[in-house]
Amino acid sequence: MANYHPSDELLMSFSAGQMPNALGIIVACHLEKCSHCRQRAALYERIGGEILMDTDDAPMPTQLLDNLLSKLELPEISATNESHAISVLDSFADSERQMIQNLPRPLRRFVGNEFNKLPWTGMTSSLKEFVLSFSDNDYTAKFYKISAGKELPEHTHRGNEYTLVLDGSFSDKAGEYHQGDFILADKRTIHQPKAANDCDCICFAVTDAPLKMTGLFGRMLNPFLK
Amino acid sequence: MISESHTNNNLSEDSLDTLILKIAKYQSKQAFIELFNRVSSKLKAYAIRCGANQADAEEIVQECLLIVWRKAPTFNPQAASAITWLYTIVRNKRIDFVRKQRPDLIGSYDLWPEPESEYLEKHVESDLNANIIRKLLYELPQEQRQIVFKVYFEGKSHSEIANELNLPLGTIKSRLRLAMKKLDTLAKENMSWLIIILLMNF
Repeated sequence: MANYHPSDELLMSFSAGQMPNALGIIVACHLEKCSHCRQRAALYERIGGEILMDTDDAPMPTQLLDNLLSKLELPEISATNESHAISVLDSFADSERQMIQNLPRPLRRFVGNEFNKLPWTGMTSSLKEFVLSFSDNDYTAKFYKISAGKELPEHTHRGNEYTLVLDGSFSDKAGEYHQGDFILADKRTIHQPKAANDCDCICFAVTDAPLKMTGLFGRMLNPFLK
Repeated sequence: MISESHTNNNLSEDSLDTLILKIAKYQSKQAFIELFNRVSSKLKAYAIRCGANQADAEEIVQECLLIVWRKAPTFNPQAASAITWLYTIVRNKRIDFVRKQRPDLIGSYDLWPEPESEYLEKHVESDLNANIIRKLLYELPQEQRQIVFKVYFEGKSHSEIANELNLPLGTIKSRLRLAMKKLDTLAKENMSWLIIILLMNF
């Protein structure tokens, strides 16, 4: 059970369907692991239903009903990416499939067939990253891997950084974060995350602006950040 | 229990839930026509308010109603009311409509994957709760409700809403926060006090 959750503003925006981007994926991943937030998102869907029925009528031309009736018996043509993702899963050995199945489902389509050989790139010896394909101009989506027991340079953020712990755990001055926890760091946050000693910590992070290093070592690193 | 013979009589009095259940059980075209008459103009208005033009909105509505016909057997009135179910369908269709030619982009199936059995909710939505939601939504002060509606229809950021309404960003954030706080009372398990207050108002 996660202890850190997205804000209600985020959950409302998600349920309103106004988050079809990396931020939506990270919220969806948290929801998969958090029944508390699923209940809240369901509440905002119900509000969406009320708002739907409250809109003024925009009448449909009646011939569209005839058109629809003529289509009811036609077979459904459907080839979703979801079914593609499932078929990719079938090609893996049991152990690999297990690893992939631990990934939240909204991520599987994007990393499924390369999860075991992700081309991590080194930011430092203790911090690796992998940029996810669905990053866009507004949001950058990455996996971060902090080596077990390692501490990152102290840093703050130019904008918002949303982090979901996928595996392992890390801590900073404000708390300790485990699988499923959803953390928001912003311009006011200055922290120095440290992975737990027992295993590497893998996080999924979505940022709307790059990190800004604050410590001496951090400032040296900063020019290399994208 | 519903029966097919019943569909010939009191159709106009059927709830939306019942219409969808009749479509699921009997593939009733009468129920489908009734559903079209009751909700298609709402679905279209939603799509338009979210930014679609007339033609696109009509295509979205048709795709939605085809989904209703095909997926009616998966409708579970204990888990979500008909209007909530219809809302999620039109919301998802709206998202996917603009992504038709771009399967590499995020779609509704990424954000709301079909539930695996272990994630099925036992949550039950009662009529009383639906009434409370409706009442609370409309008891929000107009200035708060306006911002909630902008979130649902326009997907605007707080700062965009602030610019549009010519108000400070802090005002928008606090109005939305107040609205959320009020709506938050719904999610509390122990709502008996709220029910009593509402019943006194009826």
